[in-house]
Amino acid sequence: MSNPDSNNNGTPVVPVDSGITRRSFLRSSAVFATGIAAMVAGLKPLFDAADFPSAEEFMQKYYKELTPEEMVKVLARIENEVERQYGIRPHVRDYKPLDGVEYLYCLNLTRCIGCRKCVHACVAENNQSRDPEIQYIRVLRMPHGSLDIEKAEHRYAPESVPEKGYFYMPVQCQQCKNPPCVKVCPVHATWQETDGITVVDYNWCIGCRYCEAACPYWARRFNFAKPVIPKERLNPEMSYLGNRPRMRGVMEKCHFCIQRTRAGRYPACVEICPAGARKFGNVLDPNSEVSYILKNKRVFIQLKEEMGTSPRFFYYFDV
Amino acid sequence: MNSQSKTAVIVIGLAIVFSLLAVFFYFNRNTAVPVRAPIALVDKTFLDVSTWRKSYADLVREKADLSDFDCYGCHEKGKAPPLRFDDKQKLIIPDEHKDIVMGHGSHGRNNICFNCHNENNLELLQARDGHDIKFADSPQLCGSCHGPTYRDWEAGAHGRTSGYWDRSKGPIERKLCVNCHDPHSPHFPGRKPAPGPHYLREPAVASAEKEPNH
Repeated sequence: MSNPDSNNNGTPVVPVDSGITRRSFLRSSAVFATGIAAMVAGLKPLFDAADFPSAEEFMQKYYKELTPEEMVKVLARIENEVERQYGIRPHVRDYKPLDGVEYLYCLNLTRCIGCRKCVHACVAENNQSRDPEIQYIRVLRMPHGSLDIEKAEHRYAPESVPEKGYFYMPVQCQQCKNPPCVKVCPVHATWQETDGITVVDYNWCIGCRYCEAACPYWARRFNFAKPVIPKERLNPEMSYLGNRPRMRGVMEKCHFCIQRTRAGRYPACVEICPAGARKFGNVLDPNSEVSYILKNKRVFIQLKEEMGTSPRFFYYFDV
Repeated sequence: MNSQSKTAVIVIGLAIVFSLLAVFFYFNRNTAVPVRAPIALVDKTFLDVSTWRKSYADLVREKADLSDFDCYGCHEKGKAPPLRFDDKQKLIIPDEHKDIVMGHGSHGRNNICFNCHNENNLELLQARDGHDIKFADSPQLCGSCHGPTYRDWEAGAHGRTSGYWDRSKGPIERKLCVNCHDPHSPHFPGRKPAPGPHYLREPAVASAEKEPNH
């Protein structure tokens, strides 16, 4: 490229008082354009990853403020959304707590063999993300003669369970009567229902994870990424406060399989337990098996009862 | 340094910065997320809710082959089958019943078939007080020795439960003792556990094992 400024003696083309020449303007524009293109190219994955909610979803009201008519619309929107994403028409319902029912869970530590079938039955029932992996139940293996959670191991992988010298203690949401996770929520996106189940409105959760920090049982799980659920493993029986697919950036937790228990059925973890170690029922019914266990068995703890959380989850022994 | 050359320096400086950023982004465009092996789906056998054994009542309900329970296809009616023992008073199991492992009770003391089977009518069971029990009602026989466990089972506190906790909405499905326990060797057998939780990040497995869990 020729250089007209320096070769043309005595007659400058551009006035001296101007700070910008045509040449410098072109050069800097080209550099800026390259830079911005590079920035856009570099940040593009962020735009691809973000799944923006629809306007309806974004403007949706708080669960407790929804009128029954609005709830019908919301459930229809969720059904459409799930069908669009997974190609399966789900059945989404909003199950309300039953009158005269307070759920209670009992787990027999003598019987638990640590096979982890409950963990995977729960994942299958409640549409948790498979990768990244989200599981509500964590089975702790502890040596006999102590109940020191510091000594617990949850990644045990022997050829055969139960192992000699160990016992197994599955831990999941304890559905506390005095739940610390509910107290810390800044937006009231999680609360305790009248039947004792602590639930999360996934659409109201802002993902601050205060509740995860407050829970002494390590029972709350956060969706760091958009959940991945294979189509063939999706459970189409869904509930609004329970197992509908979650979004990225919201909290979730065990809800005693709300879509089953509020329809009168046992939770998935109870049904699959091959050792019959898990017992569930209505503690207000004196004839239920949980009432029998509390009256007659050696019920020894609520986990970390010194925290004052008063769990609805009891561990007991047979002998 | 006049204003014109100052501008030029800034422009060139910015150009270099942006060019370096462009190069950086170009080479990092695919390596932003560390690659981790995908988590395999759990084997469907771990999601099976059926019991690992079938009771006689289940077989009758399914109209399954009951020829194994046709005792008098081989045995002679009205005559108690003989029992043979070795030097250590251990029962010698005949070849026709090779699938039976005698392991009921500690030290192998419960080693006489007719502690539970009725020797005069092999199609029935017999409680210790002498009354006959049908195969379909086997929990009564188990309960004649294991009283507290039988009481817990009746109350729903021992054994598997499925179906409805709310009896007004549907029935509770109870399983029999023999759905889970082999009556000849009732101790619960060991099994392979389902896979445990995966690590969020693939490396540092060895060092994470050594650290105490919190």
